[in-house]
Amino acid sequence: MILLRRYGTLLALALIVLVFTIASPNAFGSMSNLVNITQQMALLAIVAIGATLVMVLGEFDLSVSAVVSWAGIAAAALFAAGIAVPVVMIVVLVSAVAMGAISGFLVARYKVPSFIATLAFGTVIGGLTFWVSNGATMFSGIPAGFRDLGRGTLAGVPVPTLWLIGVAVVFWLLLDQTEFGRRLYAIGGNREAARLVGLPVRRDMVVAFALCAALAGLAGLLLTARLGSAHPTGGGGYLLQAYAAVFLGMTAFREGEPSIPGTLVGAAIIAVVSNGLTILGVPSFLQDLLTGAIILAAVLVRNFGRDGD
Amino acid sequence: MRAGILGLAFAGLMASTVGSFAADVAVLTPYQSSVATNQMINVFQDKAKMAGWNATVVDTRGDMGQLASRIEDVVAAKVAAIVLVSVDPTQIQDQVSAAAAAGIPVITIDGAKAPGVVLNVTSDNFELGTKLSDFLFDKLGGKGNIVKFFYSAHPGVHQRELALDAALKKYPDIKVIADHYVVVPGPIDDARKTTENWLKSQGDQIDAVWAAWDEPAIGAQLAIEADKPDSKIIIAGIDGNPQAVELIKACSHIKGTVSQDFDAMAGLAAEGLTQILAGKTPEKAEIYAPAKLITPETLGVTCP
Repeated sequence: MILLRRYGTLLALALIVLVFTIASPNAFGSMSNLVNITQQMALLAIVAIGATLVMVLGEFDLSVSAVVSWAGIAAAALFAAGIAVPVVMIVVLVSAVAMGAISGFLVARYKVPSFIATLAFGTVIGGLTFWVSNGATMFSGIPAGFRDLGRGTLAGVPVPTLWLIGVAVVFWLLLDQTEFGRRLYAIGGNREAARLVGLPVRRDMVVAFALCAALAGLAGLLLTARLGSAHPTGGGGYLLQAYAAVFLGMTAFREGEPSIPGTLVGAAIIAVVSNGLTILGVPSFLQDLLTGAIILAAVLVRNFGRDGD
Repeated sequence: MRAGILGLAFAGLMASTVGSFAADVAVLTPYQSSVATNQMINVFQDKAKMAGWNATVVDTRGDMGQLASRIEDVVAAKVAAIVLVSVDPTQIQDQVSAAAAAGIPVITIDGAKAPGVVLNVTSDNFELGTKLSDFLFDKLGGKGNIVKFFYSAHPGVHQRELALDAALKKYPDIKVIADHYVVVPGPIDDARKTTENWLKSQGDQIDAVWAAWDEPAIGAQLAIEADKPDSKIIIAGIDGNPQAVELIKACSHIKGTVSQDFDAMAGLAAEGLTQILAGKTPEKAEIYAPAKLITPETLGVTCP
């Protein structure tokens, strides 16, 4: 029973996979499709891992989708100017870190509610993105070498999946195994108490927002590599899904707290549901209905469990 | 316990859908909320029904990453064919190529030619833009100030904008005094608000509104009707959107729309797919559906 309580959401994921496998053994249940799902969830999970860091603080970063779009457009614009891949990646990631740090600074130093600060700053980033792109989808000049960072396989594993594994391991270690990670949980638990015991609250918050934006920037680069094009609103779909993944993850592993493994389970549930329902030929409006119902069910069931205590 | 409840709820929902939605032809688009795209999808679904296909529709609401993933899904599901609506396939070239490599024919409606695409049925967007611009500029007598609603993210709509640029070179006395990148979804309301602002700031200088498609034209009409109903501003758009046609008939400020025959596009696509599924190759890889200008005169209406 304790195991069920602790790993219930993970078991729910397994159950969803099982139902789809029974419904479509040849298409959904094939190994190639299961590997494909890890690729499809990779970018969402990377953005959601960043959002997890901020959620640990008890804050939101609503600018993540704008940073994803910005990173893609900025990279495409720099490629069009003939700049080399490593330089482009560094410049784009540094710009994303700077954007996140500004949001974090506004929240930590001036106590602007993160909801408002990141919404406003996200709008600024969106404007910048449209300015650079002229609102157009950018195709030209994206080198094949860069595209390979977001597609293809390495030793049979899709490259985006490898990025996700790398990011997940690094940020799981950072959050669970380092003093910095424990400080973030402490700040999220009680910011005033954390300040009174001498924790560098402002600095840690700025760093958390900067890391969140860095991961959104990385996802934007990988999205551009995967598609071979950059769209000025290309990151728009990630905001709500990333936070849905974090919330779903909060029902797993650790009661009510955001965690990297939990977020991975949440992202996997979202990706599996989209993939499975598409394979079964379910129209997209019904997919939305089911995805929303599953998220609500997960959160409600957790709360029912608490009431039962 | 919670896993059980969650699983049961999900299984129940699944059971109600799985049996009735076996995929055969997958129709995918990022823009189903657009009236024109929706119309093409509806007509194609009707044709698919008559042909005995089971067409299912996936809309990713402007999200190209999601569109790429959903194409991968239907390739894994080994559908009989993939129909992409209102999207340039080069934006998802890897997925289109993977479908072609898996032997799944890909056709596009209102799309573009690309490797792996067997058939594209569309309108010549540059011609549409030229017809719109020439009509509007002739109405102005070759002289005046226009405002422009555009959306460069859609390659087809961007072609119309390029046609405007070309037409402006032919008409040096026509000036674009303001322009606006339309927000999608929600183009009508976005254009309405923008036009309201323009009317306040430079309403006396605007002679005409050039809209890259009809929804922003309708938004501009709503604003002018509310704030400056007696003005001589004329509006024109593209698509032959039924609401725009009604407004032309009602002698509103919308004086023209270059109608794309979306029903014909969807019908031609269904005909092409019938051939393809029968193992034949379409005579041409790209077919243009005819376009025509709709004005009060062509509708038999005399406006004051």
